[in-house]
Amino acid sequence: MKLHDPVCGMEIEPQSAFAKREHMGQTFNFCSQSCLDQFDNDPHNYVMTSATTGFNPERTLTRIELPVSGLPLKEHSTHLDSALRALDGVGDVKVNVTANRLEVQYDAQKVDVSRLVGAVKSIGFQIGGANVKIGIENLRCASCVKSIEDELKATQGVLNATVNIATQEATVDYLPQKTTLSQLNAAIETWGYKPRPALSDAPVDQQEEAHAREYRRLMNKFWFATAISVPVLATAYYQFVPFLKNLNMDTLRLLWGVTALLTLPVMFWSGSDFFTGAWASFKHRSANMNTLIALGTGAAWLYSTFAILFPSVFPEGTSEPFYDVVSVVIALVVLGQALELRAKGQSSSAIKKLLGLQAKTARVIRDGKEMDLPVEEVLVGDVIQVRPGEKIPVDGVIVEGSSAVDESMLTGESLPSSKKMGDEVIGATINKTGAFKFRTTKVGKDTALAQIVKMVQDAQNSKAPIARLADTVSGYFVPVVMILAVWTFVTWFVVGPQPQLVYALVTSVTVLIIACPCALGLATPMSLMVGIGKGAENGILIRSGEALQTARALNTVVLDKTGTITKGKPELTDIVISEQSSVTSDQLLKLAASVEKVSEHPLAQAIVEGAQARKLELAEVKDFDAIPGHGVSAKVEGRNILIGNLKLMNREKIALGSLEEQSKSIADDGKTPMFIALDGKAAGIIAVADTVKEDSAEAIKVLQGMGIEVVMITGDNRRTAEAIARRVGVTRVLAEVLPEDKANNIQLLQAEGKKVAMVGDGINDAPALAQADVGLAIGTGTDVAIEASDITLIKGSLKGVVTAIEVSRATMKNIYQNLVGAFIYNTLGVPVAMGLLFPFFGLLLNPLIAGAAMAFSSVTVVGNANRLRGFKPKFSVK
Amino acid sequence: MSNLQIFVILSGIVLTILIAWYFWFATKAQTRVAVSESGAQEVAITVKGGYTPDVIVVQKNRPVRLTFTRQESSACSEKVLFPDFNQNALLPEGEQVTLEFTPDKSGEYGFQCQMGMLRGKLIVE
Repeated sequence: MKLHDPVCGMEIEPQSAFAKREHMGQTFNFCSQSCLDQFDNDPHNYVMTSATTGFNPERTLTRIELPVSGLPLKEHSTHLDSALRALDGVGDVKVNVTANRLEVQYDAQKVDVSRLVGAVKSIGFQIGGANVKIGIENLRCASCVKSIEDELKATQGVLNATVNIATQEATVDYLPQKTTLSQLNAAIETWGYKPRPALSDAPVDQQEEAHAREYRRLMNKFWFATAISVPVLATAYYQFVPFLKNLNMDTLRLLWGVTALLTLPVMFWSGSDFFTGAWASFKHRSANMNTLIALGTGAAWLYSTFAILFPSVFPEGTSEPFYDVVSVVIALVVLGQALELRAKGQSSSAIKKLLGLQAKTARVIRDGKEMDLPVEEVLVGDVIQVRPGEKIPVDGVIVEGSSAVDESMLTGESLPSSKKMGDEVIGATINKTGAFKFRTTKVGKDTALAQIVKMVQDAQNSKAPIARLADTVSGYFVPVVMILAVWTFVTWFVVGPQPQLVYALVTSVTVLIIACPCALGLATPMSLMVGIGKGAENGILIRSGEALQTARALNTVVLDKTGTITKGKPELTDIVISEQSSVTSDQLLKLAASVEKVSEHPLAQAIVEGAQARKLELAEVKDFDAIPGHGVSAKVEGRNILIGNLKLMNREKIALGSLEEQSKSIADDGKTPMFIALDGKAAGIIAVADTVKEDSAEAIKVLQGMGIEVVMITGDNRRTAEAIARRVGVTRVLAEVLPEDKANNIQLLQAEGKKVAMVGDGINDAPALAQADVGLAIGTGTDVAIEASDITLIKGSLKGVVTAIEVSRATMKNIYQNLVGAFIYNTLGVPVAMGLLFPFFGLLLNPLIAGAAMAFSSVTVVGNANRLRGFKPKFSVK
Repeated sequence: MSNLQIFVILSGIVLTILIAWYFWFATKAQTRVAVSESGAQEVAITVKGGYTPDVIVVQKNRPVRLTFTRQESSACSEKVLFPDFNQNALLPEGEQVTLEFTPDKSGEYGFQCQMGMLRGKLIVE
């Protein structure tokens, strides 16, 4: 686990920390002596849970930091201190003289921020507030900077505003109680500028915007190169152009001179990226696609120019230029890049969908007033009102009211969970029935949803092991192509037909242009991005490319029983009435549930819930007595009742008759039977069991159909385990396995040469999850278990295992297609370009066709990756 | 065989040797990272057609703070990946983006853009 140095915020490994300190029950790790010294000076300052907000929801006192200004702090700090302490509910007050900051701990129930601010102001200080960055579109004139700054400063509640023309962003300090972002935006709009979210705040939108800009830039370059290509092509193939074919050589040479000049801006504007990129990588002693294109087009231009300037140097018939290669190849490759960019944009749609879950606005209560604010403006510690049917905007703790919340999108729990005061709520979940207020604990990038998005993005950018091969190949690829081009030239020049120089040059330029290292480089990352995104859309969080690749080869899936195959919670399953019983089954259940309501046994809860499900009213219990190892006895409605196992019945000498036989067959089914006696006579049996999830059997059948062996592992006794296994169709059962031995059992399966996946509910299964080739944690989308597993199934169902393997197989197949395609393209394209077919068929590749092939080979790879977007799992999610 | 042909063949051999030497065999300039006041190994990297510096030598088990500034709009370089350390970052044009992690294993590890066109090397000692 990674930790953060509380002083500088740097990420450090616990074992490599420079030093550790304990303070107020928290442990801090440091990266260096200087950070340690700073901490030791004022350890209290760093006690917090949220690194970004400095807010600790667990503590009753809320801590706030306020920037203060206006008076020399040194002289007046005692005034400030006493003025604040005079308020009811204010705890510790600390004044940081050097940083001009005031730190107050206060009880949010008794006093609010606005009263603190009022107290500070009453002795003549001014106070800072929230800080926001607002982007300003097309901000060009330096004089407007001042006007916008002044306008912002004049807005009520704004403490300071600065506008940076370089970043096109305004930075505003403001009091959130006094103004909102929309008011700040309005201030910018009065000067005719359009505000937009600051770049640093919305990475996805920003990336999209950058892509759109880049696309326009590339298309402009493409159209320019295309426009120039028309006259250049006409003069290059003058024999076929009606007017040009009648011109004499000198006029043509003049025209070629003009095209030489025309192609210059194509090279240095449309194709500038190739030349600057080639030069930059040359300086780094590396070579890439840019190098090849720059060399190819550069050589073509230089040869052509030389040929028209000094035609006499060249043998007859070789002094014709081919500027068409320069302009058309650049146009095509730029077009290819633009199309590739467009296709790439589609691949990231999964993240957009996840972000779409986020609520746009929140109803925040500040100063006793409700106001609708964009969710970005919600601060930690704000109180937010949520009405029935609304989305919960951020994470927090309920402070007033209660409700049922649908959390299925994040936890997979299909039933709404009931929430009352003190319970946590998660952003992006939907409030169903009641209205409540909650205090925010996590906003922005700290929310559970943001964490999931971050995880998916990280996984999309990770590497599948298979990509390493492609990486190694492409590391040698470009220099090899350059050497091949050199020898193509040499061979054609030495042994080729006349005109040798032209053939040699055209073939070597074609070799440079047709080779496409991009297709190799793009093959894995594009498919991985789409595949992992597709998983996320289906509620499967795949942590890395490695996990995705391993999941394809799985042939054994080990399922934990409790909580994975089963619901993990006992439920009432059977009620049996003895022949001589004087009560009905509902009456028996009512009596038993009344007794069990008092009991603390986990099975008791199942009986009580069973009675509640049948809407039975429970009676009052007297003389309750728990008999350890046996059961309970009590008096209900004047009747003596005994609930317990066979031992209890034998001890009380109660004749069971046929009940004993029936209890055995119930136990054989993996259920737990409990005998009930009324007034000394056997009355019946109530059985409870951990029931199987509705879709477990179906999912297991599909897994087996995919050729995967399904194994069940459990700590339960063999009889119960096998009863469950029979019901879901599992034949291999590892029962009575201690939690610490689960990992060993996985290892034994691996020793049989199997690729093993472990599916567990995450917490006690952690060692086994880690031991398995792929660990899948189930139904814990917001849990720490994400950390322990390779794949997290957000929906609690085992069907997710099927979908995870399907996604993996589909993605890996796509990657193989891409890699094989890119490999075949290059191994066929380059030899053909070298003229290998010429001696046999007289076939030579035109450099223009090579340019088109190169441009579209990488588009094809991205396009094939996008085909994955159409992937449909067997079990679709609702 | 004419003199010109012999000259072309010899040039081909020389060029081949030059290419192989320049891209594969010549040792690259390495940038040793100094440890800053905060105890981290800090280095600023410019992204423009490549990573400058591109071979970075750091010490093991000491936090590394790499600040990337991308000075081009070409989409190729919009992400930087350290696959061996499971680190990556989006690099918006013109913005400073900091990646922090502690290398816990020594050896040579590549870093690159998403499609592997730009490459650099992190040497952990």
